[in-house]
Amino acid sequence: MAEEEGNNKDLKVIVFQLKDEEYAIEVDHVQSIERMQTVTRIPRVSAHIIGVMNLRGVITPVVDLRRRFGLEEKAYDEATRILVLSKDNIELGLIVDGANDVIDITTGDIEPTPEVVGGVEEEYLRGVVKLEDRLFTLLNLDKVLHDRSTIGV
Amino acid sequence: MASVLIVDDAAFMRMMIKDILQKNDFEIAGEAANGEEAVEIFKDQQPDLVTMDITMPEKDGLEALKEIKALDSNATVIMCSAMGQQSMVIDAIQAGAKDFIVKPFQADRVMEAINKAM
Amino acid sequence: MSNSEYLDVFIEESQEHLQTVNDSLLQLEKEPDDLSLVNEVFRSAHTLKGMAATMGFEDLAHLTHTMENVLDLIRNEELEASSEILDVVFDSVDDLEEMINDIAEGGSGKRDIQQIADQLEAIQRGEAPSAAGSAEVAAANAQTEVGGGAQNLGESYDEFELTVITQSKEQGFSPYQIRITLDENTMLKAARVYMVFEILEEAGEVIKSTPPVDELEEENFDHEFIVTLVTKESKEDLNERINRISEIQNIEIILIDPEELGENSEAESEPKTEAQGQSSKDSAKAESPESSQPVQQLEPQQQKKDDKDETTKKPSEANKTIRVSIERLDVLMNLFEELVIDRGRLEQISSELDNNELSETVERMSRISGDLQEIILNMRMMPVDQVFNRFPRMVRSLSKDLGKKVNLDIYGAETELDRTIIDEIGDPLVHLIRNSIDHGIETPAERLDKGKSEEGTLVLRAYHSGNNVFIEIEDDGAGINQQKVINKALSNGVVTQEEIEKMSDEQIFGLLFESGLSTADQVTDVSGRGVGLDVVKNTFESLGGVVTVNSEQNVGSIFSIQLPLTLSIIDVMLVELQKEKYAIPLSSIVETAIVNKEDVYSAHNQKVIDFRGNVVPLVFLKNVFEVPEAGIEDEYYSVVLVSKGEKMAGLVVDSLVGQHDVVLKSLGSYLTNVFAISGATILGDGQVALIVDTNALIK
Repeated sequence: MAEEEGNNKDLKVIVFQLKDEEYAIEVDHVQSIERMQTVTRIPRVSAHIIGVMNLRGVITPVVDLRRRFGLEEKAYDEATRILVLSKDNIELGLIVDGANDVIDITTGDIEPTPEVVGGVEEEYLRGVVKLEDRLFTLLNLDKVLHDRSTIGV
Repeated sequence: MASVLIVDDAAFMRMMIKDILQKNDFEIAGEAANGEEAVEIFKDQQPDLVTMDITMPEKDGLEALKEIKALDSNATVIMCSAMGQQSMVIDAIQAGAKDFIVKPFQADRVMEAINKAM
Repeated sequence: MSNSEYLDVFIEESQEHLQTVNDSLLQLEKEPDDLSLVNEVFRSAHTLKGMAATMGFEDLAHLTHTMENVLDLIRNEELEASSEILDVVFDSVDDLEEMINDIAEGGSGKRDIQQIADQLEAIQRGEAPSAAGSAEVAAANAQTEVGGGAQNLGESYDEFELTVITQSKEQGFSPYQIRITLDENTMLKAARVYMVFEILEEAGEVIKSTPPVDELEEENFDHEFIVTLVTKESKEDLNERINRISEIQNIEIILIDPEELGENSEAESEPKTEAQGQSSKDSAKAESPESSQPVQQLEPQQQKKDDKDETTKKPSEANKTIRVSIERLDVLMNLFEELVIDRGRLEQISSELDNNELSETVERMSRISGDLQEIILNMRMMPVDQVFNRFPRMVRSLSKDLGKKVNLDIYGAETELDRTIIDEIGDPLVHLIRNSIDHGIETPAERLDKGKSEEGTLVLRAYHSGNNVFIEIEDDGAGINQQKVINKALSNGVVTQEEIEKMSDEQIFGLLFESGLSTADQVTDVSGRGVGLDVVKNTFESLGGVVTVNSEQNVGSIFSIQLPLTLSIIDVMLVELQKEKYAIPLSSIVETAIVNKEDVYSAHNQKVIDFRGNVVPLVFLKNVFEVPEAGIEDEYYSVVLVSKGEKMAGLVVDSLVGQHDVVLKSLGSYLTNVFAISGATILGDGQVALIVDTNALIK
C-alpha cells in the first residue's frame, strides 16, 4: 500500500520497459501479461497494429507500442511481453520490451508531462511519476483503447 | 382438541406445519422424520390426523401411508407433495389418503385440507 | 420462481395469445362464418384476461374483458363479424399489444383505454339481438355447443349418451350436470380431478365429461369442467361429498331432463353435422393425403368422434416440447464453439502423432461432435413464421391507409433460420413490404385502367436452397421505373453515365440500395420514415446476406434476399497466401478451379478469365491483402470463384488447403471496419485465420 496517506487516491500500476525508459499503466484494467506469441497479420490496417492473437479463445488485437510511439524497432525476445488490457468490452494487447513490476503510487505523485518525453504523443500520456530515483511515464488507458488512428486504412 | 402427527424429513417443513397447526389450536401428537418413525409413532399415539410427506429416506410417505392404513383403515392422512409429484399423489389417493397439499405450504390451504378431511 | 420470472412467462405467453388473436381475426375477416375462429380468439382473449388480472394489469384485463364481451356476441351469432366491428376489435388488439410491449419494457402497462372500451361497449349495446333471434341462433350454433335454457350448463349429447341418460332415468337414477370450478391457484390439477372422479364414480356413473377425461388428466383445461353423472344420490348429498375435497371453488349441480335435451339436440343436429363435416374434411386435408378419405360418408356421430380425437391429439403432442430460454441455448452454443476449436486441435495433434488408437478415437469423437453440432444448430432454428406472422396485420392496415387493395400470400413460413438471423430480419423486411405496397402496388383505379385486377397481390416466399435461405417479396404492381433510377443515381453522383452503360438491368435496379436514392415522387407517411433501402441492404449484408431486385414496368417487382442458415459455425474453404491462411465462407463459393496463366486475358487493365462462357474478373488476394514477399510465380493460378447475387469474381490464391467447419469470431471492438475481413476463426493449431468478406471484393 501507499506509504503516504492523504486526499490522494492510491493507484496500483504495472511498470514496463520501452526502449530505455520506464512506463506505467494502471493495473485495474490489465487482464494479464503474456509472453510473445504468434500473431496473425491483418491486412490494410495501421502499421502499429501487428495483428490478432488467440488469447484463450478470444481474438485479441495486438499493438506494437514501439511502433505506435514511433520508436526504433527491436526484435522480440525473451523479455518481450504483451500487456492485455480489457475495459468496456474492448480488448487489446500491447507489446512492450519487458514488464518489470507492480508498484503503488498515489494520484498526487502524478505530475504533468514535461517536454522531455520526446516523440510520444502527449494525449496518450497521463503524466509522469517520480519515485525516489525512478521516473516513469503513466499511459492514459482510455486514450490507448480508443486510439482513432488504429482504424483501418 | 384434535391431535396431528407431522411427518416430513425436513425439520423446517415440520416447523412450518407445526406453527400453522398450533395457531389453529391443534395438538401435536408427534413429529417423524421418515416413514419408519411415522408408523411407530402412529401405533403409539393414535393421532386423529397425519400430514405425510411423500419423499423421505428409509421409508417413503406412500409406503408409510399403506402401513398406517393397514393398521387403521379409518386413519386420516393428508399427503404433502412437491410440484411434479402428480402420479404419486394419485397413487396416494388410491391408497386411501384423504387429501393432499402442495409445497410451498400456505396456511389457509393447509387448514382447508385439514378441516375438510376431519 | 421470483416475480420477474413470472413476468417473463406472462409476457411471452401474452404475446403468443395476441398472435393467435391476430391470426384468427385475420382469418375471420376472410371467413366471417367460421365460428371456430371466433372461439379461438375468444379463448385466447379469455386466457389473456385471466393472466392480466392475476398479474394486476388492470387496464389490460379490462380491455380484454370488454373485447371478450363483443366476441361472445359474435360467437353466439348475435352479432355479425362485419369489417367495421373487426376494425374496432383490431384496434383494441393494437392497444393490448402496446400495453404488453410496455410491460415487456419494464413499464406499468397502464394506458388510456376509455375510448376504445367505449366503442366496444357501444357495439355490445347497440347490436343486442332480440330474444327470439338469440334462441334461434343458439340452436343453430354448432361450435360452441351451447344449448339454450336453464336446464343445461352448456353440454350436448350424442344419441348414445342421450339413450343412456333416458334409460337410467327410467330406472330411477337422476341425471345431473355438474360444473366444478377449481381454485385458481390449484396445483396438481389432475390429482384434484382424480379425487373428484373417484367420488363421482363411487356415487354413480359418469356419462360424459367436458373436457374429456384424458384431457383433464393432461391438465388441458383452465379451472372448470362439466361432468354428466347418473346417480341415485340427491343433489345435496353430491354437493356435500364433492365439497369434502379441498381447492374446489364452486360446485354447480343441475338435474337434467332428457326429453328437453333430446329436442335441443335434434334442433342442433341439422346445421351441426354440416359444419362439422366441413371442418373434419378440412383438417383431414391439412393433415395428410392418406387421411383424406371420404369422411362425409361417415355417420354424423362418427364424425363427431373424429373431431374430438382431433382436439385431444393436438394438446398431448404439444406437451412433448419444453420451453428453453434463448440465453441457455446461447450458452450451449458458446460452449460447443469451444469444443469445436478443441476438436480441431485434437485432430491436428492426432495427425501429427500418427497413433492408430488415438486417431480412431479422435475420428469417432469428431463424428459425434459433428452430430452434436447439427442438433445444436437445429435447436436454434426457428421458422421464419416468427417474423412473417406480423405481416398480414401490417399489410391489412397499410393497404387500408393507402386506399389500396392488397392480397398477401405467404409461402414457406415453416422455413427455418438461425434465431440470431430471425431476430435481425424483421425490420428490413417490414421496410421492403412497406415499399412494395407504397410504391409497387397501384391504387384500384390505376390498376383497372391498366387492365389489371383491382386487388394487387403481394407474395412473401421463403425457401431453402443449399446452405442458404431465400426470402422473396414479389408484387404485381407498377414495377420500378428504370430511367428514374438512372436519373436519380446520376444526379446524386452515385454513378457516372459511362458506368450506367456497362450495367445490367439488375445492377441498375440494385442502385436503389445506394444511400440517398428513393424514387418516390411523393414522400408518403409510409415510406418516408427516414430509413432508406441502403439501411436494408446493410442489415442483410451484416448477416452475410445478399439482396437483389428485379422488376418489369407494369408487371411488378421482386426483391430477393439470400441469407445463410446460421451464423456462428460456418463451413469455409481454407486458402493460403504465402504463409498466411485465410478462410473463405463456402456459402459464397461457386467453385474452385486451377487456371493456366495462358487462359487469363486482360480487359480494361483488368485480368479476367472465361468461366463457362462468363467473363469473370480476377482478384489477386495477395495484392489486396498486401501479403509480404511475393514468392516464385507458378504456371497455374488457384482460383476460388465467388459470387454475390449475379456477380462473380475469381479470387486468386497460392493454394487451397481444404474445407473446414469453423467458429466465426469477431475481431473485437478495437478494430472496426477492416477492409474485406468479416471476422476471424481459430484453427486446429491454435492459430488465427481471418475470414474473407467476399462481398467487399466483388465490384
